[in-house]
Amino acid sequence: MEEIRTGSFVVPGTFLSTVEEFLPGEGAYEEGGKVYSSCAGLVLVDLRTRKISVIPKSFPPVLKRGDIVLGEVEDVTPQKAEVTIESLRGSEGRQLPPPKLGVIHVSRVSKGYVKDLERKFRVGDIVRAKVGEVGREMVQLSTTEDDLGVILAKCFNCNTPLKVENSKMGKLRCPICKRVEFRKLASDYGRGEPWGE
Amino acid sequence: MAEAKPEKLLVDGRRLDGRRPDELRPLRIKAGILKRADGSAYIELGKNKILAAVYGPKEMHPRHLQQADVAVLRCRYNMAPFSVEERKRPGPDRRSMEISKVIREALEPVLFLHLYPRAVIDVFIEILQADAGTRTAGITAASVALADAGVPMRDLVAGISVGKVDGTVVLDLMKEEDQWGEADMPVAVMPRRKCITLLQMDGNFTPQEFRQALDLAFKGVEQIYEAQKEALKEKYLPSLEEGR
Repeated sequence: MEEIRTGSFVVPGTFLSTVEEFLPGEGAYEEGGKVYSSCAGLVLVDLRTRKISVIPKSFPPVLKRGDIVLGEVEDVTPQKAEVTIESLRGSEGRQLPPPKLGVIHVSRVSKGYVKDLERKFRVGDIVRAKVGEVGREMVQLSTTEDDLGVILAKCFNCNTPLKVENSKMGKLRCPICKRVEFRKLASDYGRGEPWGE
Repeated sequence: MAEAKPEKLLVDGRRLDGRRPDELRPLRIKAGILKRADGSAYIELGKNKILAAVYGPKEMHPRHLQQADVAVLRCRYNMAPFSVEERKRPGPDRRSMEISKVIREALEPVLFLHLYPRAVIDVFIEILQADAGTRTAGITAASVALADAGVPMRDLVAGISVGKVDGTVVLDLMKEEDQWGEADMPVAVMPRRKCITLLQMDGNFTPQEFRQALDLAFKGVEQIYEAQKEALKEKYLPSLEEGR
Protein backbone atom coordinates (compact mmCIF):
# COMPACT_ATOMS: atom_id res chain seq x y z
CA MET A 1 0.00 0.00 0.00
CA GLU A 2 1.09 3.51 -0.77
CA GLU A 3 2.47 5.54 2.10
CA ILE A 4 0.18 8.29 3.40
CA ARG A 5 1.79 11.70 3.76
CA THR A 6 0.92 15.35 3.19
CA GLY A 7 -0.30 15.75 -0.37
CA SER A 8 -1.42 12.15 -0.92
CA PHE A 9 -4.77 11.78 -2.63
CA VAL A 10 -7.27 9.66 -0.70
CA VAL A 11 -10.94 8.67 -1.07
CA PRO A 12 -13.52 8.03 1.67
CA GLY A 13 -12.64 4.95 3.71
CA THR A 14 -8.89 5.03 3.05
CA PHE A 15 -6.87 4.03 6.09
CA LEU A 16 -4.72 6.99 7.20
CA SER A 17 -3.05 6.04 10.49
CA THR A 18 -3.68 4.59 13.90
CA VAL A 19 -4.98 6.84 16.69
CA GLU A 20 -1.69 6.35 18.54
CA GLU A 21 0.07 8.17 15.68
CA PHE A 22 -2.46 10.86 14.77
CA LEU A 23 -5.85 12.11 15.85
CA PRO A 24 -8.53 12.60 13.20
CA GLY A 25 -8.86 16.22 12.06
CA GLU A 26 -11.24 17.66 9.46
CA GLY A 27 -12.28 15.15 6.82
CA ALA A 28 -11.20 12.15 8.87
CA TYR A 29 -12.83 9.87 11.43
CA GLU A 30 -11.75 7.29 13.97
CA GLU A 31 -13.09 3.78 14.30
CA GLY A 32 -11.69 0.85 16.23
CA GLY A 33 -8.43 2.64 16.99
CA LYS A 34 -7.82 3.54 13.35
CA VAL A 35 -8.16 6.80 11.48
CA TYR A 36 -9.83 6.79 8.06
CA SER A 37 -10.59 9.48 5.52
CA SER A 38 -14.20 10.61 5.31
CA CYS A 39 -13.89 12.55 2.04
CA ALA A 40 -12.00 12.62 -1.23
CA GLY A 41 -9.09 15.03 -1.17
CA LEU A 42 -5.52 15.69 -0.16
CA VAL A 43 -4.02 14.59 3.14
CA LEU A 44 -2.58 17.17 5.52
CA VAL A 45 -0.42 15.83 8.33
CA ASP A 46 0.05 18.28 11.19
CA LEU A 47 3.01 17.13 13.27
CA ARG A 48 2.59 19.96 15.79
CA THR A 49 -0.96 19.10 16.85
CA ARG A 50 -0.56 15.40 15.85
CA LYS A 51 -3.64 15.62 13.64
CA ILE A 52 -4.25 14.10 10.24
CA SER A 53 -6.88 15.77 8.06
CA VAL A 54 -8.16 15.54 4.51
CA ILE A 55 -8.90 18.66 2.47
CA PRO A 56 -11.65 18.13 -0.11
CA LYS A 57 -12.25 20.30 -3.15
CA SER A 58 -15.83 21.10 -2.24
CA PHE A 59 -17.68 20.32 0.97
CA PRO A 60 -20.98 21.24 2.62
CA PRO A 61 -20.73 24.73 4.14
CA VAL A 62 -20.42 24.95 7.92
CA LEU A 63 -20.83 28.23 9.82
CA LYS A 64 -17.98 29.18 12.13
CA ARG A 65 -17.28 32.20 14.33
CA GLY A 66 -15.96 35.05 12.22
CA ASP A 67 -17.54 33.96 8.91
CA ILE A 68 -19.32 36.55 6.79
CA VAL A 69 -22.87 35.65 5.71
CA LEU A 70 -25.74 37.14 3.74
CA GLY A 71 -29.35 36.91 4.83
CA GLU A 72 -32.81 38.38 4.65
CA VAL A 73 -34.47 40.03 7.65
CA GLU A 74 -37.57 38.06 8.62
CA ASP A 75 -38.71 39.76 11.81
CA VAL A 76 -37.73 42.77 13.93
CA THR A 77 -38.59 43.10 17.62
CA PRO A 78 -37.35 45.75 20.10
CA GLN A 79 -34.56 43.36 21.26
CA LYS A 80 -33.49 41.52 18.14
CA ALA A 81 -33.73 41.13 14.40
CA GLU A 82 -34.17 37.64 12.97
CA VAL A 83 -32.38 36.86 9.74
CA THR A 84 -32.59 33.81 7.47
CA ILE A 85 -29.01 33.05 6.49
CA GLU A 86 -28.87 32.27 2.79
CA SER A 87 -25.22 32.35 1.79
CA LEU A 88 -21.76 31.95 3.28
CA ARG A 89 -18.75 33.76 1.89
CA GLY A 90 -16.44 31.21 0.31
CA SER A 91 -19.17 28.68 -0.55
CA GLU A 92 -21.61 30.80 -2.52
CA GLY A 93 -22.60 27.98 -4.87
CA ARG A 94 -23.99 25.72 -2.16
CA GLN A 95 -27.10 25.76 -0.04
CA LEU A 96 -26.63 25.90 3.71
CA PRO A 97 -27.71 23.06 5.98
CA PRO A 98 -29.55 24.10 9.19
CA PRO A 99 -29.23 26.09 11.46
CA LYS A 100 -30.16 28.93 9.11
CA LEU A 101 -31.79 31.22 11.68
CA GLY A 102 -29.54 34.16 12.55
CA VAL A 103 -30.25 36.56 15.39
CA ILE A 104 -28.83 40.09 15.67
CA HIS A 105 -29.25 41.40 19.20
CA VAL A 106 -29.66 45.21 19.64
CA SER A 107 -26.32 45.30 21.44
CA ARG A 108 -24.58 43.89 18.36
CA VAL A 109 -26.15 46.05 15.69
CA SER A 110 -23.75 49.00 15.70
CA LYS A 111 -21.03 50.52 17.84
CA GLY A 112 -23.21 53.10 19.58
CA TYR A 113 -26.45 52.82 21.58
CA VAL A 114 -29.48 51.69 19.58
CA LYS A 115 -32.76 53.18 20.78
CA ASP A 116 -35.09 51.81 18.11
CA LEU A 117 -34.21 48.68 16.14
CA GLU A 118 -36.85 49.52 13.53
CA ARG A 119 -34.59 52.42 12.53
CA LYS A 120 -31.77 49.91 11.85
CA PHE A 121 -33.48 46.96 10.16
CA ARG A 122 -36.80 46.31 8.46
CA VAL A 123 -38.37 43.05 7.27
CA GLY A 124 -37.12 42.22 3.77
CA ASP A 125 -33.72 43.92 4.07
CA ILE A 126 -30.69 42.08 2.74
CA VAL A 127 -28.01 42.06 5.41
CA ARG A 128 -24.31 41.23 5.48
CA ALA A 129 -23.27 40.07 8.97
CA LYS A 130 -20.51 38.33 10.91
CA VAL A 131 -21.11 35.01 12.65
CA GLY A 132 -20.73 34.88 16.42
CA GLU A 133 -21.79 31.92 18.53
CA VAL A 134 -23.19 28.98 16.54
CA GLY A 135 -25.88 27.05 18.37
CA ARG A 136 -27.96 24.01 17.49
CA GLU A 137 -31.08 26.03 16.70
CA MET A 138 -29.71 29.47 15.81
CA VAL A 139 -26.65 31.54 15.09
CA GLN A 140 -25.70 34.84 16.73
CA LEU A 141 -24.82 37.54 14.21
CA SER A 142 -23.34 40.99 14.52
CA THR A 143 -23.15 44.03 12.23
CA THR A 144 -21.01 46.37 14.36
CA GLU A 145 -18.28 46.81 11.74
CA ASP A 146 -18.54 49.50 9.05
CA ASP A 147 -18.63 47.09 6.12
CA LEU A 148 -21.46 45.10 7.71
CA GLY A 149 -25.16 45.90 7.81
CA VAL A 150 -27.91 46.39 5.28
CA ILE A 151 -26.73 46.16 1.67
CA LEU A 152 -30.16 46.48 0.06
CA ALA A 153 -33.40 47.93 1.46
CA LYS A 154 -36.71 48.58 -0.22
CA CYS A 155 -39.24 51.33 0.35
CA PHE A 156 -41.97 50.49 2.89
CA ASN A 157 -44.56 52.17 0.66
CA CYS A 158 -43.71 51.31 -2.91
CA ASN A 159 -41.05 48.55 -2.67
CA THR A 160 -38.53 50.52 -4.74
CA PRO A 161 -34.84 50.04 -3.82
CA LEU A 162 -33.87 52.97 -1.58
CA LYS A 163 -31.04 55.40 -2.39
CA VAL A 164 -28.52 56.71 0.14
CA GLU A 165 -29.15 60.27 1.27
CA ASN A 166 -26.70 60.45 4.17
CA SER A 167 -24.58 57.37 4.79
CA LYS A 168 -23.28 58.61 8.16
CA MET A 169 -26.78 58.91 9.61
CA GLY A 170 -27.97 55.84 7.72
CA LYS A 171 -30.56 57.97 5.95
CA LEU A 172 -32.21 56.56 2.82
CA ARG A 173 -34.70 58.09 0.42
CA CYS A 174 -37.11 56.47 -2.00
CA PRO A 175 -36.50 57.76 -5.53
CA ILE A 176 -40.20 57.40 -6.42
CA CYS A 177 -42.28 58.44 -3.42
CA LYS A 178 -39.56 60.46 -1.59
CA ARG A 179 -40.17 58.58 1.65
CA VAL A 180 -37.25 58.76 4.14
CA GLU A 181 -36.10 55.67 6.06
CA PHE A 182 -33.16 54.81 8.35
CA ARG A 183 -30.96 51.70 8.44
CA LYS A 184 -27.67 50.34 9.81
CA LEU A 185 -25.97 50.61 6.44
CA ALA A 186 -22.97 48.70 5.22
CA SER A 187 -20.36 51.12 3.87
CA ASP A 188 -20.99 49.93 0.31
CA TYR A 189 -24.81 50.03 0.44
CA GLY A 190 -26.49 49.79 -2.94
CA ARG A 191 -23.40 48.97 -4.98
CA GLY A 192 -24.62 45.46 -5.71
CA GLU A 193 -21.46 43.79 -4.40
CA PRO A 194 -22.72 40.99 -2.15
CA TRP A 195 -19.42 40.60 -0.27
CA GLY A 196 -18.10 44.17 -0.50
CA GLU A 197 -14.78 44.95 -2.13
CA MET B 1 -38.92 -8.43 -26.66
CA ALA B 2 -38.73 -9.31 -30.33
CA GLU B 3 -35.52 -11.30 -30.21
CA ALA B 4 -35.75 -15.03 -29.59
CA LYS B 5 -33.71 -16.78 -26.95
CA PRO B 6 -30.27 -17.63 -28.25
CA GLU B 7 -29.44 -21.37 -28.37
CA LYS B 8 -26.66 -21.00 -25.84
CA LEU B 9 -25.56 -18.10 -23.69
CA LEU B 10 -22.16 -19.61 -23.05
CA VAL B 11 -20.06 -21.16 -25.82
CA ASP B 12 -16.60 -22.62 -25.02
CA GLY B 13 -16.42 -20.56 -21.83
CA ARG B 14 -17.16 -17.36 -23.73
CA ARG B 15 -20.29 -15.29 -23.35
CA LEU B 16 -22.38 -13.67 -26.08
CA ASP B 17 -20.16 -10.59 -26.15
CA GLY B 18 -16.96 -12.62 -25.88
CA ARG B 19 -16.35 -12.10 -22.18
CA ARG B 20 -15.16 -14.77 -19.80
CA PRO B 21 -17.54 -15.66 -16.90
CA ASP B 22 -15.51 -13.52 -14.46
CA GLU B 23 -15.11 -10.46 -16.66
CA LEU B 24 -16.77 -7.06 -16.30
CA ARG B 25 -18.12 -5.08 -19.22
CA PRO B 26 -16.06 -2.03 -20.20
CA LEU B 27 -16.38 0.44 -17.34
CA ARG B 28 -15.93 4.20 -17.37
CA ILE B 29 -16.72 6.59 -14.52
CA LYS B 30 -16.44 10.37 -14.56
CA ALA B 31 -16.95 12.58 -11.50
CA GLY B 32 -18.24 16.14 -11.37
CA ILE B 33 -19.83 16.51 -14.79
CA LEU B 34 -22.90 18.54 -13.83
CA LYS B 35 -22.19 22.21 -13.19
CA ARG B 36 -25.21 23.06 -11.06
CA ALA B 37 -25.22 19.95 -8.86
CA ASP B 38 -23.24 19.87 -5.60
CA GLY B 39 -21.81 16.53 -6.68
CA SER B 40 -22.31 14.40 -9.77
CA ALA B 41 -21.03 11.36 -11.63
CA TYR B 42 -21.56 9.60 -14.94
CA ILE B 43 -21.04 5.88 -15.41
CA GLU B 44 -20.90 3.67 -18.46
CA LEU B 45 -20.92 -0.05 -17.86
CA GLY B 46 -21.22 -1.81 -21.19
CA LYS B 47 -24.35 -0.35 -22.74
CA ASN B 48 -25.57 1.14 -19.46
CA LYS B 49 -25.39 4.92 -19.32
CA ILE B 50 -26.27 6.48 -15.99
CA LEU B 51 -26.11 9.98 -14.49
CA ALA B 52 -26.10 10.58 -10.74
CA ALA B 53 -26.49 13.95 -9.05
CA VAL B 54 -26.30 14.96 -5.38
CA TYR B 55 -27.79 18.11 -3.85
CA GLY B 56 -27.24 19.08 -0.23
CA PRO B 57 -27.07 18.69 2.68
CA LYS B 58 -29.67 21.46 2.65
CA GLU B 59 -32.66 22.43 4.74
CA MET B 60 -35.50 19.90 4.49
CA HIS B 61 -38.78 21.17 3.10
CA PRO B 62 -41.55 20.43 4.01
CA ARG B 63 -40.63 20.89 7.67
CA HIS B 64 -42.63 17.91 8.95
CA LEU B 65 -40.27 15.56 7.10
CA GLN B 66 -37.26 16.90 9.02
CA GLN B 67 -35.57 14.61 11.51
CA ALA B 68 -34.48 16.55 14.59
CA ASP B 69 -31.27 14.55 15.10
CA VAL B 70 -30.17 13.32 11.65
CA ALA B 71 -30.23 14.23 8.00
CA VAL B 72 -32.64 12.45 5.67
CA LEU B 73 -31.35 10.73 2.56
CA ARG B 74 -33.70 10.85 -0.41
CA CYS B 75 -33.01 8.77 -3.51
CA ARG B 76 -34.77 8.79 -6.83
CA TYR B 77 -34.03 6.11 -9.39
CA ASN B 78 -35.62 7.03 -12.70
CA MET B 79 -35.50 5.45 -16.13
CA ALA B 80 -35.71 7.72 -19.14
CA PRO B 81 -38.52 6.74 -21.54
CA PHE B 82 -35.88 6.09 -24.21
CA SER B 83 -33.59 4.03 -21.98
CA VAL B 84 -35.03 0.68 -23.05
CA GLU B 85 -35.98 -0.77 -26.42
CA GLU B 86 -39.72 -0.54 -25.93
CA ARG B 87 -40.62 2.99 -24.77
CA LYS B 88 -41.07 3.05 -21.01
CA ARG B 89 -43.96 5.06 -19.67
CA PRO B 90 -42.31 8.02 -17.93
CA GLY B 91 -42.63 8.62 -14.21
CA PRO B 92 -42.25 6.52 -11.08
CA ASP B 93 -43.68 3.01 -11.07
CA ARG B 94 -43.65 0.06 -8.71
CA ARG B 95 -40.24 -1.13 -9.90
CA SER B 96 -38.45 2.22 -9.77
CA MET B 97 -39.90 3.08 -6.37
CA GLU B 98 -38.65 -0.19 -4.94
CA ILE B 99 -35.23 0.32 -6.49
CA SER B 100 -35.11 3.86 -5.08
CA LYS B 101 -35.73 2.40 -1.64
CA VAL B 102 -33.07 -0.30 -1.85
CA ILE B 103 -30.56 2.20 -3.23
CA ARG B 104 -31.27 4.53 -0.32
CA GLU B 105 -30.72 1.67 2.10
CA ALA B 106 -27.51 0.72 0.29
CA LEU B 107 -26.08 4.24 0.61
CA GLU B 108 -27.33 5.19 4.10
CA PRO B 109 -24.80 3.10 6.08
CA VAL B 110 -21.79 4.97 4.65
CA LEU B 111 -23.04 8.49 5.38
CA PHE B 112 -22.52 10.41 8.62
CA LEU B 113 -26.12 11.59 8.67
CA HIS B 114 -26.04 12.74 12.30
CA LEU B 115 -23.70 15.61 11.30
CA TYR B 116 -26.56 17.43 9.56
CA PRO B 117 -29.69 17.40 11.71
CA ARG B 118 -32.88 18.70 10.03
CA ALA B 119 -31.19 18.57 6.63
CA VAL B 120 -31.82 16.50 3.53
CA ILE B 121 -29.42 15.00 1.01
CA ASP B 122 -30.99 14.41 -2.40
CA VAL B 123 -29.60 11.77 -4.74
CA PHE B 124 -30.95 11.52 -8.27
CA ILE B 125 -30.08 8.55 -10.46
CA GLU B 126 -31.14 8.88 -14.06
CA ILE B 127 -30.91 5.85 -16.33
CA LEU B 128 -30.25 7.16 -19.83
CA GLN B 129 -29.64 3.76 -21.38
CA ALA B 130 -30.30 0.43 -19.68
CA ASP B 131 -28.74 -2.97 -20.29
CA ALA B 132 -29.16 -4.94 -17.02
CA GLY B 133 -27.48 -4.12 -13.75
CA THR B 134 -28.68 -0.51 -13.61
CA ARG B 135 -29.38 -0.47 -9.89
CA THR B 136 -25.85 -1.55 -8.99
CA ALA B 137 -24.27 0.79 -11.54
CA GLY B 138 -26.54 3.51 -10.15
CA ILE B 139 -25.25 2.88 -6.63
CA THR B 140 -21.66 2.98 -7.91
CA ALA B 141 -22.28 6.33 -9.61
CA ALA B 142 -24.25 7.76 -6.67
CA SER B 143 -21.44 6.99 -4.25
CA VAL B 144 -18.93 8.80 -6.50
CA ALA B 145 -21.35 11.74 -6.72
CA LEU B 146 -21.67 11.84 -2.92
CA ALA B 147 -17.88 11.85 -2.54
CA ASP B 148 -17.69 14.57 -5.20
CA ALA B 149 -20.15 16.66 -3.15
CA GLY B 150 -17.82 16.28 -0.16
CA VAL B 151 -20.49 14.67 2.02
CA PRO B 152 -18.67 12.91 4.88
CA MET B 153 -18.63 9.15 4.24
CA ARG B 154 -17.23 6.09 5.98
CA ASP B 155 -16.39 4.39 2.69
CA LEU B 156 -17.47 4.35 -0.92
CA VAL B 157 -20.11 1.88 -2.15
CA ALA B 158 -19.59 -0.22 -5.25
CA GLY B 159 -22.24 -2.44 -6.77
CA ILE B 160 -22.25 -5.26 -9.29
CA SER B 161 -24.57 -8.05 -10.32
CA VAL B 162 -23.71 -11.73 -10.48
CA GLY B 163 -25.85 -14.49 -11.91
CA LYS B 164 -26.09 -17.91 -13.44
CA VAL B 165 -26.36 -18.66 -17.14
CA ASP B 166 -26.30 -22.15 -18.62
CA GLY B 167 -25.39 -23.47 -15.17
CA THR B 168 -22.29 -21.31 -14.82
CA VAL B 169 -21.86 -18.47 -12.30
CA VAL B 170 -21.02 -15.28 -14.19
CA LEU B 171 -20.14 -11.70 -13.26
CA ASP B 172 -21.94 -8.57 -14.49
CA LEU B 173 -24.93 -9.85 -16.44
CA MET B 174 -25.89 -8.18 -19.70
CA LYS B 175 -29.45 -7.89 -20.93
CA GLU B 176 -29.67 -11.24 -22.71
CA GLU B 177 -28.17 -13.08 -19.74
CA ASP B 178 -30.50 -11.30 -17.34
CA GLN B 179 -33.47 -12.25 -19.50
CA TRP B 180 -32.65 -15.87 -20.31
CA GLY B 181 -30.32 -16.77 -17.43
CA GLU B 182 -31.29 -18.80 -14.39
CA ALA B 183 -30.37 -16.32 -11.65
CA ASP B 184 -29.50 -12.67 -11.11
CA MET B 185 -28.11 -11.29 -7.86
CA PRO B 186 -27.24 -7.60 -7.46
CA VAL B 187 -24.71 -6.96 -4.69
CA ALA B 188 -23.48 -3.63 -3.27
CA VAL B 189 -20.44 -3.58 -1.01
CA MET B 190 -18.36 -1.09 0.96
CA PRO B 191 -15.05 -2.02 -0.66
CA ARG B 192 -12.71 -1.19 2.23
CA ARG B 193 -14.75 -2.69 5.04
CA LYS B 194 -16.16 -5.60 3.03
CA CYS B 195 -19.66 -4.90 4.29
CA ILE B 196 -22.60 -5.81 2.08
CA THR B 197 -25.18 -3.02 1.86
CA LEU B 198 -27.44 -4.51 -0.81
CA LEU B 199 -28.17 -8.10 -1.68
CA GLN B 200 -31.11 -9.17 -3.79
CA MET B 201 -31.71 -12.36 -5.69
CA ASP B 202 -33.92 -13.35 -8.56
CA GLY B 203 -33.81 -17.03 -9.54
CA ASN B 204 -32.12 -19.96 -7.86
CA PHE B 205 -28.62 -20.68 -6.61
CA THR B 206 -27.46 -23.72 -4.71
CA PRO B 207 -25.61 -22.80 -1.49
CA GLN B 208 -22.27 -23.56 -3.19
CA GLU B 209 -23.18 -21.45 -6.21
CA PHE B 210 -24.24 -18.64 -3.89
CA ARG B 211 -20.82 -18.66 -2.18
CA GLN B 212 -19.10 -18.74 -5.55
CA ALA B 213 -21.28 -15.89 -6.82
CA LEU B 214 -20.59 -13.77 -3.75
CA ASP B 215 -16.83 -14.31 -4.11
CA LEU B 216 -17.09 -13.30 -7.75
CA ALA B 217 -19.07 -10.17 -6.78
CA PHE B 218 -16.35 -9.15 -4.30
CA LYS B 219 -13.74 -9.56 -7.03
CA GLY B 220 -15.78 -7.41 -9.40
CA VAL B 221 -16.34 -4.77 -6.73
CA GLU B 222 -12.57 -4.46 -6.29
CA GLN B 223 -12.21 -3.49 -9.96
CA ILE B 224 -15.11 -1.05 -9.74
CA TYR B 225 -13.59 0.52 -6.61
CA GLU B 226 -10.37 1.18 -8.53
CA ALA B 227 -12.37 2.92 -11.27
CA GLN B 228 -14.21 5.01 -8.65
CA LYS B 229 -10.92 6.10 -7.08
CA GLU B 230 -9.53 6.95 -10.51
CA ALA B 231 -12.63 9.03 -11.34
CA LEU B 232 -12.36 11.04 -8.13
CA LYS B 233 -8.63 11.51 -8.60
CA GLU B 234 -9.14 12.74 -12.16
CA LYS B 235 -11.55 15.37 -10.87
CA TYR B 236 -8.93 16.52 -8.35
CA LEU B 237 -6.01 16.47 -10.77
CA PRO B 238 -6.17 20.17 -11.76
CA SER B 239 -6.07 21.19 -8.10
CA LEU B 240 -3.25 18.70 -7.47
CA GLU B 241 -1.12 20.48 -10.05
CA GLU B 242 -1.97 23.93 -8.68
CA GLY B 243 -0.68 22.87 -5.27
CA ARG B 244 2.85 22.18 -6.56
